[in-house]
Amino acid sequence: MLKVVHYINQFFANIGGEEMAHVPAEIREGIVGPGLAFKQAFGDEAEIVATVVCGDSYFNENMEKAKKDIIEMVKKYNPDIFIAGPAFNAGRYGVACGTIAQAVKDELKIPVLTGMYEENPGADMFKNSIYIVSTKNSAAGMRKAVKTMAPLALKLAKEEKIGSSAEEGYMPNGKRVNFYEKDRGSKRAVKMLLNKLNGKPFTTEFPMPDFDRVPPNPPVKDITKATIALVTSGGIVPKGNPDHIESSSASKYGKYDIDGVMDLTEETFQTAHGGYDPVYANEDPDRVLPVDIMREFEKEGKIGKLYRYFYATVGNGTAVKNAKAFAEKYAKELKADGVDAVILTST
Amino acid sequence: MIITNNDLVYSKLKDDYNILYIDGSFRDVLVKTRDKVHAGYELLTHPLSSSLKPNETPYKSVIISDKKGKLNFNSVYIIEDAIIEYDKFNMNIIKKISEKIRKDFKLIDLTVLESALNINY
Amino acid sequence: MKLELGYIFIKDIQFAEQSKVENGTLYVNKEDVKALILEDQNFKSADVELARPGESIRIIPVKDVIEPRVKVEGPGGIFPGMISKVETVGSGKTNVLKGAAVVTTGKIVGFQEGIIDMKGPGAEYTPFSKLNNLVLKCEPIDGLKQHEHEKALRFAGYKVAEYLGNLAKSLTPDEVHTFETPSLTEGLKLYPDLPRVAYVLMLQSQGLMHDTYVYGVDAKKSLTTMIYPTEIMDGAIVSGNCVSACDKNTTYHHLNNPVIQDLFEQHGKTLNFVCVIISNENVYLADKERSSNWSAKLAELLGVDGVIVSEEGFGNPDTDLIMNCKKIESKGIKTVLITDEYAGRDGTSQSLADADAKANAVVSGGNANEVIELPPMDKVIGHPEVVDTIAGGFDGSLHDDGSITAELQVITGATNEMGFNRLSAR
Repeated sequence: MLKVVHYINQFFANIGGEEMAHVPAEIREGIVGPGLAFKQAFGDEAEIVATVVCGDSYFNENMEKAKKDIIEMVKKYNPDIFIAGPAFNAGRYGVACGTIAQAVKDELKIPVLTGMYEENPGADMFKNSIYIVSTKNSAAGMRKAVKTMAPLALKLAKEEKIGSSAEEGYMPNGKRVNFYEKDRGSKRAVKMLLNKLNGKPFTTEFPMPDFDRVPPNPPVKDITKATIALVTSGGIVPKGNPDHIESSSASKYGKYDIDGVMDLTEETFQTAHGGYDPVYANEDPDRVLPVDIMREFEKEGKIGKLYRYFYATVGNGTAVKNAKAFAEKYAKELKADGVDAVILTST
Repeated sequence: MIITNNDLVYSKLKDDYNILYIDGSFRDVLVKTRDKVHAGYELLTHPLSSSLKPNETPYKSVIISDKKGKLNFNSVYIIEDAIIEYDKFNMNIIKKISEKIRKDFKLIDLTVLESALNINY
Repeated sequence: MKLELGYIFIKDIQFAEQSKVENGTLYVNKEDVKALILEDQNFKSADVELARPGESIRIIPVKDVIEPRVKVEGPGGIFPGMISKVETVGSGKTNVLKGAAVVTTGKIVGFQEGIIDMKGPGAEYTPFSKLNNLVLKCEPIDGLKQHEHEKALRFAGYKVAEYLGNLAKSLTPDEVHTFETPSLTEGLKLYPDLPRVAYVLMLQSQGLMHDTYVYGVDAKKSLTTMIYPTEIMDGAIVSGNCVSACDKNTTYHHLNNPVIQDLFEQHGKTLNFVCVIISNENVYLADKERSSNWSAKLAELLGVDGVIVSEEGFGNPDTDLIMNCKKIESKGIKTVLITDEYAGRDGTSQSLADADAKANAVVSGGNANEVIELPPMDKVIGHPEVVDTIAGGFDGSLHDDGSITAELQVITGATNEMGFNRLSAR
């Protein structure tokens, strides 16, 4: 029989609601709470050998320790699969399920599965790297969720071939898988067109990539008089990373004064970016943020002047929403300071 | 201007057209085309002309404008998407190709190009 | 325009002294067919073989698949402008040998593509494994140029299909399907409340081995135009396209265009199927702009509310598809696109070579890069050695035991972009 370890939060373990969200991780033998529904669905193919229970606040506030502790707990049982949740629309629970499932997958190299509502923030964070079953937005959808999760969990545990998201019920993960539809393509096209014409909902079979193409602004009238700013997602920061910009999934950006700085050197600047080999950027940060060349151009009169500050963040798994919010803030400052043009450098 | 790595195109059309012959790969042709597009030349034929897959045929001919103008964003999108498409296929390395098949690929590339130049048989 | 299609169901195919159709069996005189092929002096020899559903047979490389049809009543003949006079077809009565097909094979170029397996996992992917096929293997005379070879092989297919079709001329069909397209004004009167829908059929048109013909006209030399759907059922559009086996439209696909069938099925019920707009896929970007401008203009002129756009082939036609979509949507006309995907072997790459946010309703025929295994077959008709050199194959694709490891794109019709199959991807 296949062995399963299940992860749930304090609420589903019947410890309590928000007021008990601080309880640290513990492991109990056998089934707790929604594990019962899984047990019924598994029949005699798999059994939940242990259940990890952890408060949502505890997990999210002590993430590194919680991850480490839970991995140790799970390891002891040597399971064939690790299931977290389902978390439905509970945001912190969803993030916890995704985070711990990802960690178990990476550290223990066993298959993992979780489930949540598609708008749960944990979904966007993890759906491309682990299987997440799409559930309803409340615990009323438990039966339906288990009905989809249990067979998928068995397939994963047995290392069977996983079909397409449409067949298996996981959230589309950017990996296209072939399968047979009920109707032929032309018939699906006619149906889709009728729905589109009648204002009814329809789902495209291939969502277009999100380009977010920006129409270019008119050119700078006289570049020799323009003030130009440098902005980078390449993570260039003063040595020591004073604002502690995260090496991935950055939650902030930095604004740094380069008044009088003619050249970025190994001694004064570095990259905070964790998504590329930092050796060449650290050796000469101008390679990512070309202050040296801008100063030359300034001196030669090719540009008006280099703006006194540069803005930097780390574009490594950073949520588009965050990145947009950063840009909205500093774009206002740049505009207010009379900057005419910005050079954006990436990596 | 025709950018090509197909010597059959070069030898057949060199007297009538301005040809930039590339002694290199399909990708080299795309990259050279991209550089020209970045410099303001307009793309006149689709760089993925023909349904032959980029890891199938080694030959490619592309037509760009003779004159340089303003940067054409449509041309930029198309050539850059074509390079992405090329790289996607060339994760699988090109097969061994006999001289006869090479000749066939050259011919197909030539005729596809000629369909754009309105040369008929 | 009104056409009655009479289906005569074919359940078996056999060689016999006399060619005829009897009790659902198509009997073929091999020598007659050979002689017909060899009328063309470009061929030095010809062979004819049978491939039935479920038999352990692999056909490779496949050039075209053609369904035998015959005009019983009404003007013109099948394949007008090719082997019949350029008369307007699409009305009267046509008989069809449903369940039978002529398959042409032959190495026009060294990398000729297309596999049909009659059995096993490969058979699942191609609709032609379900047909009783007469396979033509024609050897060209020495030194025949590729252009002439392609044309000769194309015509051999039409001629043999016509020969078989003629056997059905005086037969009583098992089933009759009626398709009628009223004039624009009649249609408006008949179905005043139904949404008006047109079908934009994109045709491959890029040079040797990439061509499609409409009443004998090379599609790349035509502006976007209109055609009655029933004209296509009588062979007004034929395929000269031998590249990208999985998503090229064979002549069989044109004759049995599934979008046309499924729009007719809803015609008068939930929608008013106005007509077919045929547009090409040329190499020249200005041609693409012009052709898509005309698609949009015709859709607007016809006053339709929605269109289905189908694609043919790989790569640059994605640009035509997206241009058609953008321009037609800009006229306030709703679009649904049918395409297939090249998402890489692991399915994680960008599927199309072009894209636009307006393309929000897309039907997918599957990922052509997915790797499949084809077990050996007892018999191979054609040239198995081409497997290593065709698109989707690679060095070592063909194993010693005759089995094949290759991408799905090696199979004829596997990811058809008219929506012929049930295969899709998510």
